[in-house]
Amino acid sequence: MNIYFQELRFYRRVTLIWMAVFAVGIFGYMSLFTAFTSDVSATLKLLEGFPPVVRAALGIRLETFFTIFGFFGYMLTYLWLVGAIQAMNLGTGILAKEISGKTADFLLSKPVSRTKVLASKLLATLTLLLATNIVFVSAAYFSARVFTTTTFSFRSFVLVASTVFVVQLFFLALGYLISVIVPKIKSVLAFSLPVVFGFFIVGLLDSVIGSEAIRYVTPFKYFDIQYILDHGSYDWKYVITEAVVVIVCITATYLIYLRKDIQAGA
Amino acid sequence: MNIIETKKLTKYYGKSLGIIDVDLTVEEGEIFGFIGPNGAGKSTTIRTLLGLIHPTSGSATIFGKDVTKFGPEINEEIGYLPSEVFYYDDMRAIDLLRYSGSFYKKDPKAIASRIKGLANLLDLDLNKKIDDLSYGNKKKVGIIQGLLHEPKLIILDEPTGGLDPLMQQRFFDLLRAENKKGATILFSSHILNEVQKLCNRVAIIKDGRIIKVEKISSLAENTHKRFKLETAVKVDKSRFTGLKGVSDLVITDKSVNFLYRGRINDVTKIIASLNLTNMLVEEPDLEEIFMHYYK
Repeated sequence: MNIYFQELRFYRRVTLIWMAVFAVGIFGYMSLFTAFTSDVSATLKLLEGFPPVVRAALGIRLETFFTIFGFFGYMLTYLWLVGAIQAMNLGTGILAKEISGKTADFLLSKPVSRTKVLASKLLATLTLLLATNIVFVSAAYFSARVFTTTTFSFRSFVLVASTVFVVQLFFLALGYLISVIVPKIKSVLAFSLPVVFGFFIVGLLDSVIGSEAIRYVTPFKYFDIQYILDHGSYDWKYVITEAVVVIVCITATYLIYLRKDIQAGA
Repeated sequence: MNIIETKKLTKYYGKSLGIIDVDLTVEEGEIFGFIGPNGAGKSTTIRTLLGLIHPTSGSATIFGKDVTKFGPEINEEIGYLPSEVFYYDDMRAIDLLRYSGSFYKKDPKAIASRIKGLANLLDLDLNKKIDDLSYGNKKKVGIIQGLLHEPKLIILDEPTGGLDPLMQQRFFDLLRAENKKGATILFSSHILNEVQKLCNRVAIIKDGRIIKVEKISSLAENTHKRFKLETAVKVDKSRFTGLKGVSDLVITDKSVNFLYRGRINDVTKIIASLNLTNMLVEEPDLEEIFMHYYK
């Protein structure tokens, strides 16, 4: 467990920053809900002025936009995006930093198997993401309660807000795989930003093209709020798709990491 | 008992040179030197022993156990100091050393007191951040990190860079003390002089192959000296060509330059008869030994 706790210590500060970004961001956004709904007709008129394609791409649905879920859901796409960057940074960085910081020699010449190193780091990253999401979901729920007068389902709200964590798992796993394939990662952001935005743009295209198949490709399209509200659960097709991606990525990471040569610090 | 034994250990890295058919045996209680020029395969051999890289073919055992199968178990009893030390920058030295100690089964109290003792001996401030330490002080952290669990086998990969002569002396004393207590040491270096000071036996590696394993005493007997003479007038070649043991002789208008292996008295007699302006006698560097001796 020493590696696990050490990694939590290493990432403590940056994770606290992510938590603050999420908590302050969602609270600030939700505080606009009152102003937003005070003059529905004016806002509606403004939004109707947007071409339907633009509205679709931005994820705006006029019929639900003024409910708390609609309002929250509009922001959700961007929360996924921010969360994806956090997860991707963690996944890409946690193994790669030992190579780029040349500490891999130290760590791997200790009496510890690579399996244990990877397991400890996986557990640490999961803990960090989970902690971030507990803070985020709490802040979101709290601000939703503060800024709305209507009642809404706690379960549905948590289910919708937790999609951030599920999206993060996808990018965490992908990050791990990238980190063992690319020989040396000097800047984590140089890999995480293009990948995350790549998937995000593919997701935007889907709204424009209207193709169903593309929804399987990007986790930014795995969750539909209306679906979650109607069914009280996620759409299993996509949950299974993601599970497959995560399992394949982590298994491949493990197999590659086990065989990988750790080159001298050159 | 053989602490380290490799059989036809081979490692290719795609195109670049690795090691080929390395056969090494290091016996218990030895201080075994491992010398060769940079890039000869010293680090590759050591990294394979530690399980950091995987051999292409051949096998290696430490304490009688295969390194590819029992890595973590073997590493419990190994202390490793790499040539370049890099540690997590935002940690203090003491945090890094505690973290390092937490990997071993040994009693944490014993490790803590050992850290203190070694830090005192090496004159290292444990409360400083690693980031703020000089290269030499980082090296000290590396030394303590490698010795804090009193390993049975100490593996050092060009460890002296960055240490001043005084520290180097203390470090060597420390290694000798560990050796007396029963630790076996594998010491890799490209500096012949270092190895001569410390080691009992030495393996010489060049272009990925072990070309000779010798007792240090016989290596010293065979050592060449390089003579660099500056003369007032040009010296006739015949003065030196008659002397046995002279090689690589270069004579210019005002200098004589050669390698010599043999009785010192014989060569000084000839030199005494010359009109000298300056004279330098030095140990040839390893590269020269390879070129003229191990051809």
